[in-house]
Amino acid sequence: MKFKSSYLAVAILAAIVIAFPAFLGAYPLNVARSIMTYMALAISWDMLLRSGQISFGIAGLFGLGSYASALAVLRGGMDPFVSIIFAALLAGLVAFALGFAILRLRGMYFSITTLALMEIFRIIMQNLHDFSGGPEGVVIPAVIFNGSSTALYWLCLAGLFITIGVSWYFEKSKMHLALTAIRNDETSARSSGVDIFRYLLFAFVITSMLQGMMGAIQIQSYGFTTPDTAFDANFTLLPLAMALLGGIHSTMGPMAGAVLLGIASEWLKLKIPYGHLVVYGIIIIIVILFMPQGLVGLARKLMRGSDTKGRKAGATHE
Amino acid sequence: MANKRNATIVVALITAAVVAIMVWRPTVLIYGVQAAGLYASIAIPMGLILGIVHIVNLAHGEFMMVAAYATYMVCTTFGIDPFVAMIPVAAVTAAFGFVIYKLTIRQALKAPELNQLILTFGLGISLTQIANLVFTSQTRKISFDYVSASVDVGELSFGVYNFVFVLIAILMVVGLRLFLTKTTTGKAALAVGQNPKGAAIVGIDVDRTYGLVFALATAMIGMMGAVFITRSSIFPAVGSPFTMKSFCLVAMAGIGNIPGILGASLLLGISENFLKAFRELRGWSDIVFFVLIITVILGRSIKGKKA
Repeated sequence: MKFKSSYLAVAILAAIVIAFPAFLGAYPLNVARSIMTYMALAISWDMLLRSGQISFGIAGLFGLGSYASALAVLRGGMDPFVSIIFAALLAGLVAFALGFAILRLRGMYFSITTLALMEIFRIIMQNLHDFSGGPEGVVIPAVIFNGSSTALYWLCLAGLFITIGVSWYFEKSKMHLALTAIRNDETSARSSGVDIFRYLLFAFVITSMLQGMMGAIQIQSYGFTTPDTAFDANFTLLPLAMALLGGIHSTMGPMAGAVLLGIASEWLKLKIPYGHLVVYGIIIIIVILFMPQGLVGLARKLMRGSDTKGRKAGATHE
Repeated sequence: MANKRNATIVVALITAAVVAIMVWRPTVLIYGVQAAGLYASIAIPMGLILGIVHIVNLAHGEFMMVAAYATYMVCTTFGIDPFVAMIPVAAVTAAFGFVIYKLTIRQALKAPELNQLILTFGLGISLTQIANLVFTSQTRKISFDYVSASVDVGELSFGVYNFVFVLIAILMVVGLRLFLTKTTTGKAALAVGQNPKGAAIVGIDVDRTYGLVFALATAMIGMMGAVFITRSSIFPAVGSPFTMKSFCLVAMAGIGNIPGILGASLLLGISENFLKAFRELRGWSDIVFFVLIITVILGRSIKGKKA
């Protein structure tokens, strides 16, 4: 009974979001697209976080996807739509190859390595002048769908829906149990027969594909990119702050965080042109210190009290 | 046995490489050593924090940036030299570091490592952005005559001022060594670094020691910030690259091995300047560092697995 009503709510919400272009102008749609991009990145970051691995390299795979898609169109004459899929696959492939080495690292070593990899991607793109356009970046001849803001919105929304769908799959399937087990105690997970490396690799490849896909959607909708914009640290920082604020280890948390912070930052950007990112920094600090479970965790605690805890423990036991 | 032979081979290779570079392009070596001095003197305070408090401070470079701005303010208001301003600035940053420690990092000491990483990451962003709000992103610079001092050796002419960083790095290592082995507070800090629980059992105030070490490290980075302004112009993001570089050097040297940072810095400084010597490779010199950090981390993890 409960399930049916929640499915209904989701369907209604999705319908409203799909219908946004009917009653919103070009500017709000543009803001919505940027929020959706960050939301998808936040969710994908969180998906890997569920296994306890914290990546600081979101921007790396995002930028890689941007460049893969742009260069596939520009140098390979690929159809823009196909190039998005190509970019996602390439990001996944790169993550697969890298995963063999870096997924053996834990804690801060994994984080720092992902951060370093992002810089390496950026420097490579900056220095391959003939291939990637160097520091000036790349411009693709035409924006996908001739730049129609409605179509671009739906494209971005499709990317977001795919991300949410995969994240829900991660939450509802065996993946959830495996990743949670790895996060809580690797030794006991291994002794209960969880193939840790395989699950981590799977999660890493899938999240990288999602990040690459969002990067490709981004470049196809804006038509140009440079190493500094494609690998902008904001693509790491903002999703991270959003997921933390909303509440990590869930799909809902990053979504709530992205909507809140996305709208807030758009407003702050108008008020304080320089340094509005300070809000993100302070939010990160406050959330870590005072409410590590984020807003969703806080709401859950307030609404249901100890009831949730009992049920959750039961669910993990199955 | 095998280890010893390997070490001899490595030493021989390094000597050969250094001699080859010296003959081929002496400037690579000179500028490499100067850059190494700068890297080392920024990395050493981080090594101190990581070795004793066991916190990766991702706001490390930002602390230096704050100190550099403080120095800028002091120097432009009172018209004094940064080398004089360095003392009040160090005191101020020490207090600043202590407050930051008490307010934020102390609360996260028991939290998982990830929380600490994210916390200091957030601290770094806040500091950069606050600098952005207060000073805008405009670059600032104070010029001094003595910075351009140069020396001619035969046909070779090079700036000598940057050797001051080498001097600072060596002073820091020697000073820390004396502090950690000769004074009671230093010995206590070392004990806390090795085993906080054990130290607490024998009656050392762990929390106070952590605070002290943190303040000491930020004082050192504050002095570095003061000297840094003589060499380069400052802007809010000026410190960020040094956080990663410092971490890389500390990880390379091995956590807790402060003199090792000097060697690691030399390797980084010289190899960066080696690439810079080739015109067409100049743009790639930044990558050296990132490749190095990944190699070091992976190398260590593989070695750890075998042991």
